[in-house]
Amino acid sequence: MPEVTMAQAINQGLRRALTDDDRVLVFGEDIGKLGGVFRITDRLQEEFGEDRVFDTPLAESAILGVSIGLAMAGWKPVPEIQFDAFSYPALDQVISHVAKYRFRSAGTVSMPIVMRLPVGGAVGAAEHHSESPEVYYAHTAGLKVVIPSTPIDAFNLLLASIRDPDPVIYLEPKARYWSKEPGELEPNGLPIGAARVLREGAHGTLVTWGGMVPRCLAAAEAAAEDGVELEVLDLRCLVPLDLDRLIASARKTGRVVVVHEAPMTAGFGGEVVARVVEDAFEYLEAPVLRVTGYDLPYPPATVEEHYLPSVDRILLAVQRTLTF
Amino acid sequence: MERAEDQTIVRILDPEGRVVDPEARQALDLKEEDLRSLYRFMALSRQVDLECTALQRQGELAVYPPLIGQEAAQVGSAFALGEEDFVFPSYREVGVAVVRDIDLVEYMHFHRGTRHGGIDDPVGKRFGEISVPVSSQTLHAVGWAMGAQKDGRNACAIVYFGDGATSQGDFHEACNFAGVFRTPVVFFCQNNAWAISVPLSKQTAAPIWRKAEAYGFPGVRVDGNDVLASYAVTREALDRARTERTPTLIEAVTYRMGPHSTADDRTRYQPTEEIDRWQELDPLVRFRAFLQSEGMVDPEFLDRVERDAKDLAASVRAGIAGAPPRDIREMFGWMWGDIPAHLARQRDEVAALMEAEGPEDGDA
Amino acid sequence: MAERVFNLPDLGEGLEDAEIVEWKVAPGDDVELNRPLVEVNTAKALVEIPSPFAGRVTTLHGEAGGVVAVGQPLVTFEVETGAPPSAEGEAAAAAGQASPGDAARPKREAVLVGYGVGQEKTGRRRPRLRPPDRRDEGNEARATPLVRRLAREKGIDLTSLRGSGPDGRLTRDDVLKAATKTGARATAETSPEGAPHTTPGEVDAAVAPSNAAAPRRGEEERVAVRGVRRLIAQKMARSWREIPHVTTFHTVDATHVEALRRELTEESGTKVSALSVVVRALAEVCRRHPKLNASFHPDAGEIVLKGSYHVGIAADSERGLLVPVVRDVDAKGITRVARELAEVVEAARAGRATPDQLTGSTITVTNFGVFGSEAGTPIINHPEAAILGTGRIADRAVVIDGQVEVRPTLTLALSFDHRVLDGADADRAMTDLTRLLESPFRLGALPR
Repeated sequence: MPEVTMAQAINQGLRRALTDDDRVLVFGEDIGKLGGVFRITDRLQEEFGEDRVFDTPLAESAILGVSIGLAMAGWKPVPEIQFDAFSYPALDQVISHVAKYRFRSAGTVSMPIVMRLPVGGAVGAAEHHSESPEVYYAHTAGLKVVIPSTPIDAFNLLLASIRDPDPVIYLEPKARYWSKEPGELEPNGLPIGAARVLREGAHGTLVTWGGMVPRCLAAAEAAAEDGVELEVLDLRCLVPLDLDRLIASARKTGRVVVVHEAPMTAGFGGEVVARVVEDAFEYLEAPVLRVTGYDLPYPPATVEEHYLPSVDRILLAVQRTLTF
Repeated sequence: MERAEDQTIVRILDPEGRVVDPEARQALDLKEEDLRSLYRFMALSRQVDLECTALQRQGELAVYPPLIGQEAAQVGSAFALGEEDFVFPSYREVGVAVVRDIDLVEYMHFHRGTRHGGIDDPVGKRFGEISVPVSSQTLHAVGWAMGAQKDGRNACAIVYFGDGATSQGDFHEACNFAGVFRTPVVFFCQNNAWAISVPLSKQTAAPIWRKAEAYGFPGVRVDGNDVLASYAVTREALDRARTERTPTLIEAVTYRMGPHSTADDRTRYQPTEEIDRWQELDPLVRFRAFLQSEGMVDPEFLDRVERDAKDLAASVRAGIAGAPPRDIREMFGWMWGDIPAHLARQRDEVAALMEAEGPEDGDA
Repeated sequence: MAERVFNLPDLGEGLEDAEIVEWKVAPGDDVELNRPLVEVNTAKALVEIPSPFAGRVTTLHGEAGGVVAVGQPLVTFEVETGAPPSAEGEAAAAAGQASPGDAARPKREAVLVGYGVGQEKTGRRRPRLRPPDRRDEGNEARATPLVRRLAREKGIDLTSLRGSGPDGRLTRDDVLKAATKTGARATAETSPEGAPHTTPGEVDAAVAPSNAAAPRRGEEERVAVRGVRRLIAQKMARSWREIPHVTTFHTVDATHVEALRRELTEESGTKVSALSVVVRALAEVCRRHPKLNASFHPDAGEIVLKGSYHVGIAADSERGLLVPVVRDVDAKGITRVARELAEVVEAARAGRATPDQLTGSTITVTNFGVFGSEAGTPIINHPEAAILGTGRIADRAVVIDGQVEVRPTLTLALSFDHRVLDGADADRAMTDLTRLLESPFRLGALPR
């Protein structure tokens, strides 16, 4: 079976969407001739022409703002914002209009926009290139927030996002771009909103997404050496959240640790904790813990490993729940 | 190059270093020593720039955005500044930093990924932190100039940005504020023809310098590879800011001879012929030819400058290569005036983990 | 001169490797700092790599068209010792490392924009974990944290209770009621008759009807298998499924065992049961027959012989079978074993046994004699290698030296894992145990 990287998988997903639906438009900064700074849009302009795949001036607010107009004109915009922290100029358009237009039009005008955004750290990058802004979007009612951690999921969730009639913030963990997975890039009908149990376990659950998934798997691997079986739940979508799988796992194991890169305060981990406490309260053996980035700006590359949840930090939290 | 043919462009030296505007040349308030300094700063900037590109290729810097080709625009404009004037840079202003005597090792820690910002005491040094979000710093310059003005200080702000930045709302909002509040600010745009892979023609449909008109202040286009012209227009803009409370937009037409950053592959989009054409317009070659033709430099001077440049580059290498990371525990103290309980708890957690782990990288 | 190895750095996009396009130097070349060494093609760009050292090229690692992984040797140099160009290169080389930059950062796997991706590694002293004591079989008691804490304080196992709250949730009242009940029971069982031993009256007590009511005639009742019952079912099934059981029977003349236990009871004031004598003697025999005190690990293809002698005691309780443990039996006298045995059994029945008291046995003894049974075929307490069943001690007719005599006897039944022991091994051990129990001298030599 051939191996694909996540970068290739997203590239193929875009190609597929552009082929299957001639209303799909792909645009953003440097996505044309260059193929994007991560080469995610490699050769798409060559194949589909400048009408459908085009570079824009350097203006994120404009990229999202015109996406709204394009959507109203019957197109399906799939804009790319180059890096996590460069999405902030576009927040006004995203929050005030992309997320609200359907609501404001009493349900009549949908916004089939998929904003692609590379996110996350652990890649030794420069300032502003390693942030995890998922919660800004998750907190904004009206947006779906998708974050795959594997190539095959990335391919299928991208197709699901583009199919979706409503706006989707499609987050691409940079640390996973070159991760490989054997498999065919054939649509498998995976819907938005389905978490995935990557590893089963009876003693506790690690809930995570994006770039932290491999760390949680590594932590589960280490725990297994001590006879502790951890379940690893990759949420894959933050909104809508797969409550069924989350709660089932929490009830099953009674111990839950949420792991994410973004800072702790008001991070999405807090939402996960709240849901577990609301719906699995009387099944819990221990407090639900969070292992997250610290409440600092994402730090310089040379110290990021002290900032990001490490396997050790995850295990310490697990230990705390086991000995509670 | 069609823009070079543009009649609106301000130029004192032609590409061969000959004076094309003797009147402007005469009007320059630069002594012979100053002219040699301009050359020296350009040479230092280039050598440091090359060294930093090499350091990145050797794994010592995470990423580095070269300035090669833009030395005249940066050095000429920075040389015009008064001591009290405030520089708001983007991320490609090593030439400005050299003129402003910024500690380059400290600056390169930003690119090594050992700290953010890059400048200790930016207010004291009149040199803002490196600003990566494109165009965001334009507004900071306007604000600083407003503040200085309210204090009755005779100081100006100069903000550096590129052609791509003129597409951002922040740029237009900054210009509008500057026009409305009549703040003493100079908008210095280095139009180096490319915003990563996007050429100017796809960035804006109108000349950059003319955008100033919409905001009610003058716009100037200058040959950014002519250090004398870059100096002259900046000097004029600063005078206008000081005496007439009038901002100026300067479009310095230059060329990005290197990649956008060391992470870039410009062969995918930048035409070789274009690079070759601009190679002929090297700002250092041009100015050296001028100085030689004026008899202001001898081989001894040029040797000394070359030696100084190499020494400076070597000192940057010596200071940055292998520099250890900053201690993350220290960074918790950079957040607020005090450390609230929740943050102290996190700092203690990381401290405990680091102590348990022992010295850096000692494990097999 | 010193050797320096320059490893391929991550060239800013965190890629995993790079293809060598063209070498710009050859072995033997003297190069200065920053002289271009090689042109490589990463997944993103064509990049020229300048030399981090001044020195002589000795080896080029790879050929044009070949691929070098980030962090792998690219060029080896010979440089003047103490030559300054890369201060860090010196330090790195001195530390036996290779590429400049390595020392400043954690080891990285390449990915994108910048230095590359840090490895998912654990530290030198990563936290060690212990599996939880409860719920390790997917058990789900529903209770609020407050009720859980109460249960913990009262020593109540929540899985043994039926919740009276909404949707079967366990309430504070449930726990408090259970605590009162077990408290009363525990008091009753501390009476001298409480511990397992042999008088007919006690057997009667032990076989009192269970409190489960029979279903109405002609009907069937479905009882959910949960809690301890479910655990027992799982453990028994697993043992029976995995372990090839064989049971061997040996009848023992218990005259001297009975004499000894009476003597020790009088001497110590602690009620010493025949069971405690057997348990203590078993530990002695295990030391001489280590395969008895062992476990079989099919995945590892290993038999683990245990150097500890923790004897599990199968105990009937209101909630079902529990196996409290008397630890380090080989290091204790019989009286102490008797006392501890009574304690752990009582604690287990009261639901306040600590995890230590309920886990870690290396061999188990089950006293079915207390229920009147003569002999049985006990199921091994997985993953142990053997379980000893003790039948009822009663006066029986035995033939001694050709004469029929009345002696107290008991039948020992040893079930053993045939993967660990053969029949001969097991019977040798049992013969040894029988002789020990029948010999007043050897019994007397056991620590009292």
